[in-house]
Amino acid sequence: MAGRVGDSSPAPSGHHSSQASRTHAVRGSSVPDPPGPHAAAAMDPPPRWRLIPLLLLLLLSSSSPAARAWKKDEFRSCNQTPFCKRARTRGPHSLDAPLSLDAGSLFVSPDGSLTAVLSHPSRLRPLLLRLSALPPHVLRLQIDEDYSANTPPHRRFQVPDVLLPDVEARTLHLSEPKTAGGVSTLALSSDVDVVVKHDPFELTVRRASSGDSVLSFNSHGLFDFEPLQESKPEGETWEEHFRSHTDKRPRGPQSITFDVSFHGADFVYGLPEHGSTSLSLLPTRGPGVEESEPYRLFNLDVFEYLHDSPFGLYGSIPFMIAHGDSASSGFFWLNAAEMQIDVLAPGWDGAASTENGRIDTLWMAEAGVVDAFFFVGSEPKDVIKQYISVTGTPLMPQQFAVAYHQCRWNYRDEEDVAGVDSGFDEHDIPYDVLWLDIEHTDGKRYFTWDHSAFPNPEEMQRKIADKGRKMVTIVDPHIKRDSSFHLHEEATSKGYYVKDASGKDFDGWCWPGASSYPDMLNPEIREWWADKFSYENYKGSTPTLYIWNDMNEPSVFNGPEVTMPRDAIHYGDVEHRELHNAYGYYFHMATEDGLLKRGERKDRPFVLSRAFFAGSQRYGAVWTGDNSADWDHLKSSIPMVLTLGLTGMSFSGADIGGFFGNPEPDLLVRWYQVGAFYPFFRGHAHHDTKRREPWLFGERRTALIREAIHMRYSLLPYYYTLFREASLTGVPIMRPLWLEFPDDKETYNNGEAFMVGPSLLAQGIYEEGQKSVSVYLPGKELWYDLRNGSPYKGGVSHKLEVTEDSIPSFQRAGTIMPRKDRFRRSSTQMVNDPYTLVIALNSSSAAEGELYVDDGKSYGFEQGAFIHRHFVFADNKLTSTNIAPDNLGNKKFSTDCVIERVIILGLSSAAKKAIVEPGNQEVGIEMGPISLRRGSSSVAPTVRKPNVRVVDDWIIRIA
Amino acid sequence: MATEGGVAWPHRWGLGKAMEQCSVELSMAWPVGRGVAVEEREQRSAAREEGNRGRAVLATVLVVDTRTSRFPGRRRLEKEREFPGKPSPSPVPRAAATMRLHALLLLWISAAAAASRPPLDTLGIPPLDEAYFRGGVIRCRDGSGKFTRDKLNDDFCDCTDGTDEPGTSACPEGKFYCQNAGHSPITIFSSRVNDGICDCCDGSDEYGSNATCKNTCWEAGKAAREKMKKKIATYKSGVIIRDQEVEKAKVAFAKDATELTKLKSEEKILQGLVDKLKEQKKLIEKAEEKECLRKEKEEKRMKEDAEKQAANENKDPDASQDVDSQETHGNVQEDESKHDPEIQDDTSIKAGPGDESPPKDTSAEPTKEQEPTHVNSEDLSREELGRLVASRWTGEKVDEVSKDDRKEHETEHDMPEPSEEALEDELDVPEPAEDSYNGYHSEVEDDRLKFDDEDFSNESEDEYADDHDEHDESYKSDDDQKADDHSVHSDLTASGQASWLDKIQQTVHNVLQTFNFFKTPVDLSEASRVRKEYDDASSKLSKIQSRISTLTDKLKHDFGKEKEFYNFYDRCFESKEGKYTYKVCPFKKASQVEGHSSTSLGLWAGGPSPLVNSTCEVL
Repeated sequence: MAGRVGDSSPAPSGHHSSQASRTHAVRGSSVPDPPGPHAAAAMDPPPRWRLIPLLLLLLLSSSSPAARAWKKDEFRSCNQTPFCKRARTRGPHSLDAPLSLDAGSLFVSPDGSLTAVLSHPSRLRPLLLRLSALPPHVLRLQIDEDYSANTPPHRRFQVPDVLLPDVEARTLHLSEPKTAGGVSTLALSSDVDVVVKHDPFELTVRRASSGDSVLSFNSHGLFDFEPLQESKPEGETWEEHFRSHTDKRPRGPQSITFDVSFHGADFVYGLPEHGSTSLSLLPTRGPGVEESEPYRLFNLDVFEYLHDSPFGLYGSIPFMIAHGDSASSGFFWLNAAEMQIDVLAPGWDGAASTENGRIDTLWMAEAGVVDAFFFVGSEPKDVIKQYISVTGTPLMPQQFAVAYHQCRWNYRDEEDVAGVDSGFDEHDIPYDVLWLDIEHTDGKRYFTWDHSAFPNPEEMQRKIADKGRKMVTIVDPHIKRDSSFHLHEEATSKGYYVKDASGKDFDGWCWPGASSYPDMLNPEIREWWADKFSYENYKGSTPTLYIWNDMNEPSVFNGPEVTMPRDAIHYGDVEHRELHNAYGYYFHMATEDGLLKRGERKDRPFVLSRAFFAGSQRYGAVWTGDNSADWDHLKSSIPMVLTLGLTGMSFSGADIGGFFGNPEPDLLVRWYQVGAFYPFFRGHAHHDTKRREPWLFGERRTALIREAIHMRYSLLPYYYTLFREASLTGVPIMRPLWLEFPDDKETYNNGEAFMVGPSLLAQGIYEEGQKSVSVYLPGKELWYDLRNGSPYKGGVSHKLEVTEDSIPSFQRAGTIMPRKDRFRRSSTQMVNDPYTLVIALNSSSAAEGELYVDDGKSYGFEQGAFIHRHFVFADNKLTSTNIAPDNLGNKKFSTDCVIERVIILGLSSAAKKAIVEPGNQEVGIEMGPISLRRGSSSVAPTVRKPNVRVVDDWIIRIA
Repeated sequence: MATEGGVAWPHRWGLGKAMEQCSVELSMAWPVGRGVAVEEREQRSAAREEGNRGRAVLATVLVVDTRTSRFPGRRRLEKEREFPGKPSPSPVPRAAATMRLHALLLLWISAAAAASRPPLDTLGIPPLDEAYFRGGVIRCRDGSGKFTRDKLNDDFCDCTDGTDEPGTSACPEGKFYCQNAGHSPITIFSSRVNDGICDCCDGSDEYGSNATCKNTCWEAGKAAREKMKKKIATYKSGVIIRDQEVEKAKVAFAKDATELTKLKSEEKILQGLVDKLKEQKKLIEKAEEKECLRKEKEEKRMKEDAEKQAANENKDPDASQDVDSQETHGNVQEDESKHDPEIQDDTSIKAGPGDESPPKDTSAEPTKEQEPTHVNSEDLSREELGRLVASRWTGEKVDEVSKDDRKEHETEHDMPEPSEEALEDELDVPEPAEDSYNGYHSEVEDDRLKFDDEDFSNESEDEYADDHDEHDESYKSDDDQKADDHSVHSDLTASGQASWLDKIQQTVHNVLQTFNFFKTPVDLSEASRVRKEYDDASSKLSKIQSRISTLTDKLKHDFGKEKEFYNFYDRCFESKEGKYTYKVCPFKKASQVEGHSSTSLGLWAGGPSPLVNSTCEVL
């Protein structure tokens, strides 16, 4: 049906801009402009005919520099944020009233933690300090006001439901500290102890054996804790103004600031989410640093965000990892209020740079308490595991979720959906999930359908499901204030909405117009929300429908900085400012719980969220939000996804192609080639962009995109195995090189290349028409080109010619990667397909790898229903052994899948046959291609049809 | 709508026509078992075109079955599903063409509903390719290697181009052929083989999976044949319609061409008369002027007031060489309300598709409105701010959103209908209700994109004047429009051109003769007669000129080889798709209408082919 104008103009919602589309049509093209940021300038509708010149001007004026400057003004800088400005301008050790530890108050409480009082004569209330330890090397520092002495009208907020419920139970019983000369020393483990200096209070975590500091708190005397006040002092104003918004701040100032130093660190990483082309967090302040904002953690819906900026984006994880060749450590501050963090360049404190490798950081939060975790790892993976041990392991996704997702704002109607679905089939491109954005609803009322476009949603889903595919619909937190909308009526009558400062239901503006937001802090409301996902409540949903949570920062179009006012009130009289960064987290949590309930806890939920907080990994995937179709955004997607992985969010990705704007076809192809490695692999686009399904750019590009997607599908067994590892340890799927090569300094700030698991390295191509690229391959072993098996030396940079058909990607010698080389419509049809093992031998002719298989959807694996094999190649023998623990339960999983092909890179081509044990069956070895693409040449000895089952123990002996 | 394909169809069908007479269904049902195509090239290419089964069906009409062989049953294929009641098709020898029909009949009767499954060494191989696989060692087609016959379909990919695995899913680049007896054969991607989804109507692609595929070829084939028959019928009737259109076009074109010639000659004559009258009128005016001046002098002496008044009256005649100043005046007054949009019209047409420079009328605009930078969200109400920010993502105009909103729930935002319509007018069509003759002629040049026939229909302006807000996009129904044309036309022609023109000529002659302009003071009744005649004649003239320009413009279009689209010129087509109604007016414009809002999809760009395409698709 070509009767419609492009995709952009007549948006099915019926609220499309007909002016804009008409202009396009007259220009003889349905190619829409990049969305003009000014496209909405008119305040009052001008007389009809006057609008044209205005419109034309608007269309012409969407140039980006002005747009960017203009948008920047809408967000608060540190200087416009009093607590940040104040804290940032303070010099080291310059506080009037530094807190000191009252030595007499120090004792180990019955729960095994150490408590003490921090005080200063000028303070109304002292502070209570609590130190506790979690094995192996986690120190937790909590500081709050002592309300017993003097009770203020409100207490400070401690973020609930983020830490794992068993954290307290896992706390060690600390031994009595040794105190001498104003210093108390506390053993955390046999190797790590904590030194607490009393006056002023300062804390250092160090290696007991060497005495080397690892982390220190307040070593620069910047720890400040603004006490809550009873009432506003005469003549003082607590109000803050930003643009047209007034924040009444009825509870006054309550910020917290402190400095944390990472010793022995060359770089610090983490603190998502920011657009960045640098993997490490570059200094924001100090000698030689250009004027910069601190890294801001404040969940915001930023229109056309900058690819490189410390401004806060959609999610916030106040977790930082430091790494150097001698140490790895981490620091996590559980606090959901606005946070600003400075990374300080050496010499910022005026001191000559002495110590080799120390990075100082300054942490500032608007409210909350100190609830901080110090992680001491020998290896960086240990630090991640420790962080995961307090915030939880990532959810194990279903198989389909690991495959390719096709999304667009918006697939218009059932016909469009069917067309896109069959388009993939016609072009032999697999995909697993088709997504529907906001326009599928009846007037942006979530849980409803636009019945003119989607008259039979169940049938539509069934048709998609018949091919083993799934669908995803969007459900956002803003609920349309419409008395005929049952959800709104119910939420209103139950009092489930967040309240504004005056106590009325908060009324903000979002997609549906006037909207209110369920108060997800309240467990009862989360429960209520979760029930909305039952088949009964969500009419038109089926078991193959999953959910997308967008706009949950929350995005409020007419709110300060496009979010909710800080003085809005949540459950338990909590101010929005105190939990802002966790709102999306609770929303994600409730939705995930809804899908769990819906599937009777047998079907693993899939919920994609845009906003996130520490712990979001337990509830599903996230993506990097509304990026733009330009090369810079492609480039920054790698550091962004890697950073998310380091901070627990192992299931993440960026919109392939870029959300805003039209990618050049070459950019789109490159994006698919890079994106095929993202843990979360989804193509998405703004409604004003040209259609960009993979087959719309000519045969050659279709083939290239197909190839990229095929590559991902062939690696699904490997990815799924990595997801399993992540779900147990938190070690991410996509990893910075230094996570695998922690001693190789070359890798520390490499944000262009990345590892997928331990075996695969890829380097993106981020420039148009790039002819050659320099790729650093770490370690001492060889690397084999993933496409043709060519070997490359490790430990050096290779200047490689760039080809259009792939980005440089390599398998590390010493590894074994499981693949499935038959390409089906979706991962569902691959279930019974045979495996290929690709063995890359290292210098000792050995290699190893793993394969994890389960049913791909249920929780049976929790009771042992899975296969976990360890493949080892050594002494010319490939051995498969079971590494699944046998104490999980009595459920079993089995499959008839066999291994049809074993490719051995680095094996002498003289090998002609192999013996399979048990059975002593002889199978042939022939030279074969590394991939089954047409035209691939035979490059490696390939064991032909050993046909051993993956569930069995076996040995393949090269004869 | 005889496109090239449409013409081709009946031709191709001709091949099968004899059989059709025999039995269409029978001939369609022919390919049973494995076949060798007589028109093999045709068949293969046809089969490749997925979704164009019709062609394949046609091609298979000529397929002759030669061999059938039982599936021997191999290790990997043990799980295969047996088709119930599968008869063994009798082998058919290569038959002389004359015998084919008989053979076909027999085959069809015995095995129409049966799906035969080829043996492993022919599994997934198109019949024509079987020979390729006969040797003991077979080359990969791309020359990349070779394989022994036992590796054919052994479920392991030896040739990366898929040569060795036509019947399994082992090679990603392979293709699987399903013969689909009873329907048309198709070739599917190897990735579909044994993936649990039935792709071939005979189910042959799922021989080793758990899927239970019913053989639906007979039903599908039948449906396809029905569809094909319908399509053929459609094409046939299309050809008839086309022929009729061509005939009608000939007549209509000849009529228009004749009219044009006549009008042109009339124009010449009339122009002469008008010129003469103009001359007369000028003389009268000069005389009147003199008279005036004389009176003026007299009156001056009498009254100051009278003097002033006289001075005023003098002004126009003084300044003007413009003979029809009075008419102009009249029109301007009458048209005041329309004047602005009309100017807009011109400028926006220039600016719209081209350089987008703001029309000069912007100068009338308060500067504030022109500058996007004026958007200072701090001054906005909370709701306005919400809309403004939302609009960044949607790329929508703020007022658009509110309009939508208003639609959605009754509402509080009472603003004037958003300027959609205005814009519409400006970019597309001028109002049919133009009441201005003056300057019309020159406008035609600028307004090539407009529809002059509508402009020409000035006689019935009142009908149009009011409803344009509501129906600005929709044409008057075809009939109305024709009626308009007709009325205009009849105005010029009804009473017989000769007599009409003669009459005017006669009258003018009389007037000119009677009028004595040396007489002073000017005889008022005569002067007014001259004026009236001048007005009448020049009005007729301008109508003729409009009509000439309309016709010239119309005839300029490319109406197809045989002018088969000539009669589409005055027609519009509508099609409803969901909540949108698509209107296509060939040679004019296309639009998408939703409720009261209408989106232009563009104007006619010339040449009949785009029209044919869009029309076909929309309809």
